Amino acid sequence: MRDPYLQVSGLTKSYGSVQALGGVSLDVEKGEFVTFLGPSGSGKTTTLMIIAGFENATSGSVRVGGRSLSNIPPHARNIGIVFQNYALFPHKTALQNIMFPLDMRGVPAAEAERKARAMLDLVGLSGYGDRWPKDMSGGQQQRIALARALVFEPSLLLLDEPLGALDKNLREQMQIEIKRIQKSLGVTTIFVTHDQSEAMTMSDRIAVFEKGRIDQIGTPQEVYRTPSTPFVARFIGDSNLLPGTVLDPDQGLVRTEHLGLMRLPSRLAAAAGAPVTLMLRPESIHLAGLAAGVSEDAPNRADISVHTVVPYGDSTLLIGRAGGADLRIRLRGPEADGIGSGAALSVLWPASAIHAIPAV
Amino acid sequence: MKLLPKLLGVLVAAFIAAPLFIVVPMSFSTAPSLEFPPPGYWLGYYAAYFTDERWTQPTINSLIIAFGTMALTMLLVTPATFAVVRHRFFGRGLANLMLTMPMAMPHIVLAIGYYSYLGDLRLTQTHLGVIIAHTALSVPVAFLILSANLKGFDRNLERAAMSLGATPLRTFWHVTLPVLRPGFAISALFAFIQSFDETVVAIFISGRESETLPRKMFESIRMQADPVISVVSTLLFAAVALVILAPVVWKAVRKRPNRDCARGGTPAAKDAAPQDVNPCAPSRVQLEA
Ligand SMILES: Nc1ncnc2c1ncn2[C@@H]1O[C@H](COP(=O)(O)OP(=O)(O)O)[C@@H](O)[C@H]1O
Ligand SMILES: [Mg+2]
Repeated sequence: MRDPYLQVSGLTKSYGSVQALGGVSLDVEKGEFVTFLGPSGSGKTTTLMIIAGFENATSGSVRVGGRSLSNIPPHARNIGIVFQNYALFPHKTALQNIMFPLDMRGVPAAEAERKARAMLDLVGLSGYGDRWPKDMSGGQQQRIALARALVFEPSLLLLDEPLGALDKNLREQMQIEIKRIQKSLGVTTIFVTHDQSEAMTMSDRIAVFEKGRIDQIGTPQEVYRTPSTPFVARFIGDSNLLPGTVLDPDQGLVRTEHLGLMRLPSRLAAAAGAPVTLMLRPESIHLAGLAAGVSEDAPNRADISVHTVVPYGDSTLLIGRAGGADLRIRLRGPEADGIGSGAALSVLWPASAIHAIPAV
Repeated sequence: MKLLPKLLGVLVAAFIAAPLFIVVPMSFSTAPSLEFPPPGYWLGYYAAYFTDERWTQPTINSLIIAFGTMALTMLLVTPATFAVVRHRFFGRGLANLMLTMPMAMPHIVLAIGYYSYLGDLRLTQTHLGVIIAHTALSVPVAFLILSANLKGFDRNLERAAMSLGATPLRTFWHVTLPVLRPGFAISALFAFIQSFDETVVAIFISGRESETLPRKMFESIRMQADPVISVVSTLLFAAVALVILAPVVWKAVRKRPNRDCARGGTPAAKDAAPQDVNPCAPSRVQLEA
């Protein structure tokens, strides 16, 4: 089998008694856009710093193109990095910043300038070469930082929460921009964020970090539809998590603590009596009688009394009590019209909407 | 309400400037000793200062010693600051203390120490001896200024430089040093001024051979109240004012084009690069803000 382009295996890192990483492994293919998603303090930056060579792992290895990076100093790794605070050199103009990596590589000045100007074009800042960083907006500085990290054709591009300091609109614009540039250059990219929607829209694959480990790696759809831990289910999107025990694995039957019996779309790979958590996305729950094509048979249904209604414009979130627990339901468009706090509803969902997360 | 603080400000300024109103006129005075108000005005004492070897030699000595002190101080303080600020090592706290300790010591105590210690080394009455003593006095302030600057330095700038292919040495040269240049400059300036201004230690150890300007001034005011002292004072004040005002003026001059830009005027020609149609023109990207 062919080696993956970037191979991170078994990284651990301790700061004194604090374990920042507890065994991080992942493979990234050439040209892939992988996002590290996780809450603050989950080890995303530490992993990035080890890949870049600024921190030494306590154990584990990093290989790029089959070559171990362990004895290669940061400046010889040919890895482009974009930091959240841009880290533009304040004493250099935008163009000089972009030319810096080429100067360091001994590229003749004329060629370096030509390449740097081409990068300025690519990031949409053609006329801004002579600006000082302090005279540019956050979004512009971020583009210059991106151009600087790409101009020397790095074997890997690392971005550590590059959009964290930008406001929402600019952020969305930059997400599209970064994706476009990454695609046009085909550079293998690792993008760090704690924003799940950013991860969903940009990534080929998402690695979800929790407490110094990767809980799950998969396409946005995979991590959204089939989270492998309750943490992933909670962190990505909105979810109902229903604790229960396996009743009949072959029939796919589970008894939940609050909503009684549930039928899963397929058989379960767990023994009868084993604990299991069922995930049910709020948007896959429908009002009884309105759900076309959903079997009205029990067991996959519940009667709820709504206590909270949150309108989002394009959809409405209803939170109601059912069997002693809260159930979150998201109805699209006008479906929720006329439903107020205190309403009693009968809801149901298709078996295919239920995802079983094995207990760990 | 607003009048009171303003009045206070004026009073403080007047109080600080008051000696100038006496010293500066006295430097142009015709009186044979320090006397105020001056009976008449001439430039004779300026001529005396610039031609009399008893004044020029101490001035040269002071300059040599101050430059030497500045160089030696920065040579010692730079690595020490990086070590203490950036690394955790055994004895770091002690190193920190030792670097700032001389500041808390009365100069007279240090002077007596240097007198006997440098005497043993046969370094009293030499430039080198004074440079060494002054360096010890300059280190704390230079260290404090530089370490404050270094603590505020964004390490990501260095990380960025290294990721972009700069070796640690080139990173220091191309990024750390230029970004910290104001800190280095102020640190060095203070080392220089500290030495140039220092009197107590100089009186003890500089002797005839390496007599410094402050020592010469002290001696001449004790002997005869030579009006050249007011000339030296005036010149020193002018030099300091120049050093302090120069960057302010420089900045004001350099900032102007940007301000024009912000106001929507045409940018100054030197700011507009040839390929740049108009850096002030709104563009797709500028609309972001
Ligand atoms: N230099 C350091 N010294 C001590 N602890 C650190 C250091 N850097 C990171 N940590 C710890 O390691 C853990 C992971 O941090 P980090 O990788 O920065 O997380 P993230 O980037 O996901 O927010 C945190 O608990 C953090 O406190
Ligand atoms: Mg981080």
